Amino acid sequence: MSSKQNSNKEILTLAVEIGDALLRSGSEIYRVEDTLFHILDSLGLEHFDIYVLSNGIFASANEDQEDGCSIIRHVPLSDVHLGKIAALNQLSREICDHSCSMEEAWIRLDECKSLPVPKPWIQALSCGIGCACFCWIFGGGFPDSVFTFFLGILLQYMLMDHESRKVSKFMTNIVGSAFLTAASILLLNLHLPIMQDKIVIGGIVPLLPGIALTTSIRDLFNGDYLSGAIHLLDALLTGMCIAVGVGSVIILYQHIPGGVSLP
Amino acid sequence: MILQFFIAMAACASFAVLFGMPRDQFPFSSFTGALGWISYLIFCELGAGTVFASLFAAFFLTILSRFFAAVRKNPVTLYLVTGIFTLVPGAGIYYTSYHFIMNDMHMFTVKGMETFKIAGAISIGIIFGFAIPQRLFQIKRR
Repeated sequence: MSSKQNSNKEILTLAVEIGDALLRSGSEIYRVEDTLFHILDSLGLEHFDIYVLSNGIFASANEDQEDGCSIIRHVPLSDVHLGKIAALNQLSREICDHSCSMEEAWIRLDECKSLPVPKPWIQALSCGIGCACFCWIFGGGFPDSVFTFFLGILLQYMLMDHESRKVSKFMTNIVGSAFLTAASILLLNLHLPIMQDKIVIGGIVPLLPGIALTTSIRDLFNGDYLSGAIHLLDALLTGMCIAVGVGSVIILYQHIPGGVSLP
Repeated sequence: MILQFFIAMAACASFAVLFGMPRDQFPFSSFTGALGWISYLIFCELGAGTVFASLFAAFFLTILSRFFAAVRKNPVTLYLVTGIFTLVPGAGIYYTSYHFIMNDMHMFTVKGMETFKIAGAISIGIIFGFAIPQRLFQIKRR
């Protein structure tokens, strides 16, 4: 009997760990629920219940019996890592096919969790290129894109620095957007032929909560009202922080006499 | 238009790097994003407003990502997240909060409503895309 209890608990722990890792890498709510459901089902648990929020997992199995167990997990909102989602998806598919034993699954899960993020300079370079491209798409000219490229690189280095020192996300957004605005105004004051607002719009793309906003509305349509509300609040607050960063620099600038007037 | 296509492709690819996309999926995800942006531009030029263009582009994008997901056996999210990066109303959020800070309440409501409409339109497009039965995509794979 005790071995059965052990395995029940173990199965639930494995499934919740996988769900935790999925949620941490920015997977959707329904995908996490689906994965957990399939894993638990295929590993032979009969009575179980799962409730997934965008920052927590609640799971229980065999509640009304002697060997009942339950797990509650708090999962903070964090950065998207698509590679992990793909790897975890593959892993859970193999678990469901029974082509992967429990011990193997734990080792594979650790491997999935330790998938590396790209090297800092690659991140910075791609952030720069991305910002420059978005600046162009939103109607900036060639010189604007070039300046946005360099600002994007600097911005990504700043973001990574803040992340390693665990600065609050809101502070990072305010400082980042203030830095971009200040830099663009400085460039404007050097009488370079640039469009100041396009540089700022291209530059703040990495900070923007566009994906959080869209995900939140999708969650709401799926009926996950609480998760949708969490993401929506996150998106609105991030947007406000960016606005505070940009707005405060512009307001300050307007009080300095003798500058170039902004559009 | 062709230049726009390649620039959107580069933009999607570079944000795919930031999101830790597996290397072998790069061409697919950036292609999805670029096609999404181009279809948005085409719908805009055909006279659809930004909201409807976003809806159609998101719909188109979802179908394409589901197709790639079925072919490459990966979660749809991989292609969708990088793909909608070009469509999401980032500039709208910026302008909304900018006007709010600058105390321009008229422009704030205009921009705010537009941003929410676009976000809603994208979500509805995605939901329509997901409403197509999975069977159709599996037939395509064979």
